[in-house]
Amino acid sequence: MATRALLAVISASPNRCFISSSRIEIQSSVSSFSSLNFQRHSRKIHRIARSYSSDKDSSVLPPPEVSRLAETARISLTPAEIEECETKIRRVIDWFGQLQQVDVNSVEPAIRADMDGGNLREDSPETFENGDSIRASIPSFEEAYLKVPKILNKE
Amino acid sequence: MLSTLQPPRSLSLLPLRRFQSSKHIVSAASSSSTAPVTSPPQSQILTTRRSLLSGETTAVEIAKSYLSRIRLTEPQLKCFLHVSENVLKDAQEVDQRIAKGEELGPLAGVLIGVKDNICTEGMPSTAASRILEHYRPPFDATAIKKIKDLGGIVVGKTNMDEFGMGSTTEASAFQVTANPWDLTRVPGGSSGGSAAAVAARQCMVSLGSDTGGSVRQPASFCGVVGLKPTYGRVSRFGLMAYASSLDVIGCFGSTVADAGMLLHAISGYDRFDSTSSKQDVPEFQSQFLSVDHFECKPLKGVKVGIICETLEDGVDSGVRSATQEAASHLEALGCVLTEVSLPSFSLGLPAYYVIASSESSSNLSRYDGVRYGNQVMAEELNKLYECSRGEGFGGEVKMRILMGTYALSAGYYDAYYKRAQQVRTLIQKDFKAALEQNDILISPAAPSAAYKIGEKKDDPLAMYAGDIMTVNVNLAGLPAVVLPCGLVEGGPSGLPVGLQMIGAAFDEEKLLKVGHIFEQTLKGSSFVPPLLANVA
Repeated sequence: MATRALLAVISASPNRCFISSSRIEIQSSVSSFSSLNFQRHSRKIHRIARSYSSDKDSSVLPPPEVSRLAETARISLTPAEIEECETKIRRVIDWFGQLQQVDVNSVEPAIRADMDGGNLREDSPETFENGDSIRASIPSFEEAYLKVPKILNKE
Repeated sequence: MLSTLQPPRSLSLLPLRRFQSSKHIVSAASSSSTAPVTSPPQSQILTTRRSLLSGETTAVEIAKSYLSRIRLTEPQLKCFLHVSENVLKDAQEVDQRIAKGEELGPLAGVLIGVKDNICTEGMPSTAASRILEHYRPPFDATAIKKIKDLGGIVVGKTNMDEFGMGSTTEASAFQVTANPWDLTRVPGGSSGGSAAAVAARQCMVSLGSDTGGSVRQPASFCGVVGLKPTYGRVSRFGLMAYASSLDVIGCFGSTVADAGMLLHAISGYDRFDSTSSKQDVPEFQSQFLSVDHFECKPLKGVKVGIICETLEDGVDSGVRSATQEAASHLEALGCVLTEVSLPSFSLGLPAYYVIASSESSSNLSRYDGVRYGNQVMAEELNKLYECSRGEGFGGEVKMRILMGTYALSAGYYDAYYKRAQQVRTLIQKDFKAALEQNDILISPAAPSAAYKIGEKKDDPLAMYAGDIMTVNVNLAGLPAVVLPCGLVEGGPSGLPVGLQMIGAAFDEEKLLKVGHIFEQTLKGSSFVPPLLANVA
């Protein structure tokens, strides 16, 4: 659980967290805490079986290409940064791979916590009273225009 | 409505060296305190109000004493990126209102630190990033507007990890904040500056933001109360977005009552934030009764579930002991403790980082050097974007944007982002089931107390592992409070450890009631860092 997640992230070669495909009813025992006995063997808690394998990468997708990602994200990186990023990102993406083992069959994705939406306001423009302050923040501003360099189309 | 806490003492007559500096060091072997019993901590908001209304002191005198403490402690702590030039002027306005007999807002004269990713009009708001180095927003965040309308005084903008991405403030582009309990250790993050400032009494309360634990973990590391509201309880308008489905603005205080009163002040539906909730905001203050009014077992019948996944190996033994003692204390107050298992618990961490980095890659695309912030001029527009962002963002931010870009790429979306959202549903269901059987759930706030500056800086996964106790709560959108429950060995006088209490959605009232009673009846510890013993 928490322990294994911790061990999974800090080990040099990431272990995998594996969950069996069926969800099991969880029963929690009512235990007296007067003696504060947290020993595992005295609890009657049914857990989903977890096992760890050290087999190869569970993610079947190609690994990230940092220079291409940087171009997509419009971030310039030095060669040294690319090299450093590559190692770190691959480790993290590899670690993300454990999500592939989870049975999410017919589970709806949760966009956010509170699924109720619909708090929309009127689509009517209002003049913001502090426009000068907005314009003062613009790095290259020339009389109602934001000045930017030319755009080159990449073929 | 004012609740009746212990008789206040004037702040100006309360040099901090009078606080008890002896501490109860928690260890597995001993469970009783050998330190003298200290009186329960008092609400600084209520103390201030009474001192002002009775004429014992003035807002200007109070402000001067805090500014003086900031001057003395900032060189060591570096909590603030910017201290307001208007503190005394704002305090004078409060005194003028008192002199005219005008009505005072509930936060009148209260000095508040604000995390630097929350927009404050005319005051630098950088999110601790070079890309916003000189940015001054043209508007106040809704939470700031509410604070000001109620008489609160913004003392300054606090240090943080850049754009909220980090757990130590080491990812700030400008400075690293030190933990007031041990200057060689981190205060936690990303709201480290806000937590440390309250711990060091540089301000009375402060605002932070919590996306994966960024209020709760630093609260634990700094020995203060950190309150994360339900998602949607507080408007996010003016909070620079990191992960829009997870971000909330949260509150720090030296007492549960202070954090709760600040939360009440900033809560409520906002038409500028369509994710803000129209749920009524209850009067949280009604929960903050004086300890003299507590019944014999004031929490009789309250069902508390202890999350068993949070107490296994991998969690420091000192933290486990402190949590066990806290559970004992809750039992003594009348709570019924049971163990709860959340089967999806360990999946929260990778699911969180997929969702957070994906959403952040989209949210941070607005920082392009064109409309605000630092611009690196280039011959061609894409180059301008690339260079402005390449030079403006720090390493951790760049890495998370790239991870998010990968996870959202065509062909990868289902495997990562959508799958993480499905895991999120599983986590929400587990919490819902557990909270149907229990009033609140408890766990440690972090697997350890504060660690040394530099210890985890180069290993992202080691850093992420520290969020295990907190991220699931954000994924489920639930409220949680962290309050100091004990000390472990380390530092000059021990290091604080926080207990996390998690409630059902929009049930902050119950959380605050349990937290307040726990805090007011906890014997033996005074959570004032040793740094303050030497400050007049």
